[in-house]
Amino acid sequence: MTPVRVVGVGNPEAGDDAVGLLAVRSARAELEALGAEVVETGAGLHVVDLLAGADAVVVVDAVRAPAGGRPPGTIVRAEAGPEGLPTEVGSSLSSHGFGVAEAVGLAAALEDAPRVVFLGVEVADVTAGHGLSRAVAGALPELVARIVTEARLLSAT
Amino acid sequence: MTHRQVEVPVIARVEGEGALHITAKDGEILDLRLEIYEPPRYFEAFLQGRHFSEVPDIVPRICGICPVAYQMSAIHGLEELFGVEVSEGTRELRRLLYCGEWIESHILHIFLLAAPDFLGMASAIEMAKHHPDLVKKVLDIKRVGNDIMEVVGGREIHPVSPRVGGFSRAARRRELDPLLPRLEWALEQMPGIADFVASLPAPVLPREAELVSMVHPTEYPINEGSMASTAGRRWTFAEYESVTQEVHVEHSNALHSLMSDTQTPYHTGPLSRMNLNVDRLTPVARDCMARAGLSVPEGDPFFSMAARVAESALAMEEAIRIIRDYVPPEPSMAEVVPRAGRAMWATEAPRGTLYHRYDVAEDGTILAAKIVPPTSQNLRHMEEDLRRFLPGVLDRPDEELTRLCEMVVRNYDPCISCATHFLSLDIQRV
Repeated sequence: MTPVRVVGVGNPEAGDDAVGLLAVRSARAELEALGAEVVETGAGLHVVDLLAGADAVVVVDAVRAPAGGRPPGTIVRAEAGPEGLPTEVGSSLSSHGFGVAEAVGLAAALEDAPRVVFLGVEVADVTAGHGLSRAVAGALPELVARIVTEARLLSAT
Repeated sequence: MTHRQVEVPVIARVEGEGALHITAKDGEILDLRLEIYEPPRYFEAFLQGRHFSEVPDIVPRICGICPVAYQMSAIHGLEELFGVEVSEGTRELRRLLYCGEWIESHILHIFLLAAPDFLGMASAIEMAKHHPDLVKKVLDIKRVGNDIMEVVGGREIHPVSPRVGGFSRAARRRELDPLLPRLEWALEQMPGIADFVASLPAPVLPREAELVSMVHPTEYPINEGSMASTAGRRWTFAEYESVTQEVHVEHSNALHSLMSDTQTPYHTGPLSRMNLNVDRLTPVARDCMARAGLSVPEGDPFFSMAARVAESALAMEEAIRIIRDYVPPEPSMAEVVPRAGRAMWATEAPRGTLYHRYDVAEDGTILAAKIVPPTSQNLRHMEEDLRRFLPGVLDRPDEELTRLCEMVVRNYDPCISCATHFLSLDIQRV
């Protein structure tokens, strides 16, 4: 059993959708020093499998608020409950519409979920071929620090 | 005149930066447009000026669910242009890798996307609460497909070992052997799954459609073959862009594929493959097809789910055969010398035929690329299905109507996210 796993989700070629991947990549050395396992994945669907075999999982992904109005670069944190992730977190930018929220919800419904902490970043631009937007790039250092903090807290409990 | 507009921000299980616009009056559809804003044009531009050897690392990024399909259409096309002969072991290993993708994608679609629709449930999460044992079993089956992809393709975001010429690293026997008992277990579950699918209350939408798929003289087509349709057309990959054409649709950036001569749409995907390749089915796949209630010819798009069940079994049977007989290719890479010309190839992605074309310079530089994904080829039929399906249900409340529209679109397993991210629904009752 892995004590803590940190999963970065995203598409490296789709603007702000890369933020989850880039953040866990930046945090990798510190996370591994804490004994956490670091995984990068291209599809939220695979998170279903990545929740298994760990005591706690930190999932990092790009999100879009369901009703809009959240400034790009805003970091949102949520813990999964019996119903999965709270809906106000928003829709992660999943391939084929089965994303992180669905994966976590499914594990929760099967009573098979570890403790899940979700860190999302509100996106501005997910155009293929674009880099990170200014707002999301600006949020990256704080996101990296928060990933490490979450992993440290989960490792200690 | 009353005028009501309903906006649904996200079609929950098909997210694309697109929209479905419907205008209806007195139970009649006046206008209906399914818009997809961004086909993979960025990638076509991004590939220009790249060396051919980079292509297998670039194209799988187009899609998180069918990266193997993108790699295989590109690799096979470039190898044919360069006159590269790969070993039988390489050929089999590629088919195994692709079977892993079929298993994962089909099982995901059958249970986590389509079955909740047919059961009238909001999502797979609700289904998991009612049928936890079934969903757990399904996730275990899906994981077998995923693990095949990891063992053969490499444990990265996208498969990294497939190359033009073979594999940078060919899987070893002892890596593949542990998959065998799990595949055998998964295959044993398939007849029961076919019975489950047969019991689902699926909608009925009979239609006459030209179904298009690859065909192959000796096997169920995945990586190699040529093109055929239920209207009797036959063509080669080199003729793909003359037999079919992509047309721009007014008021939209979407491209629709049509037959060039008749300007009529066609449908690609599992149902088309079954119709054109029923003689190539493996034994359990054939049994699953019958149990799921599918007999060909069948054009009703809602039989796609039965076709996915049969193809899942086929992919497992093929994977078992390949692993049992596997001899690692030695060497794992053939020699590759680029030559100038045009590479044209298609393979069968889980959701339909995926065509690639590359114009290549003498030194192996990509001069131009064209990618025609299955979803853009099926777009016109998605619209036509909606036009025929909606008049009978237009009086339903908006929430239910939205769910029904989603179901019709989702039935094609569209790879909308290959190109885009969000899909919104806009219904105007005039």
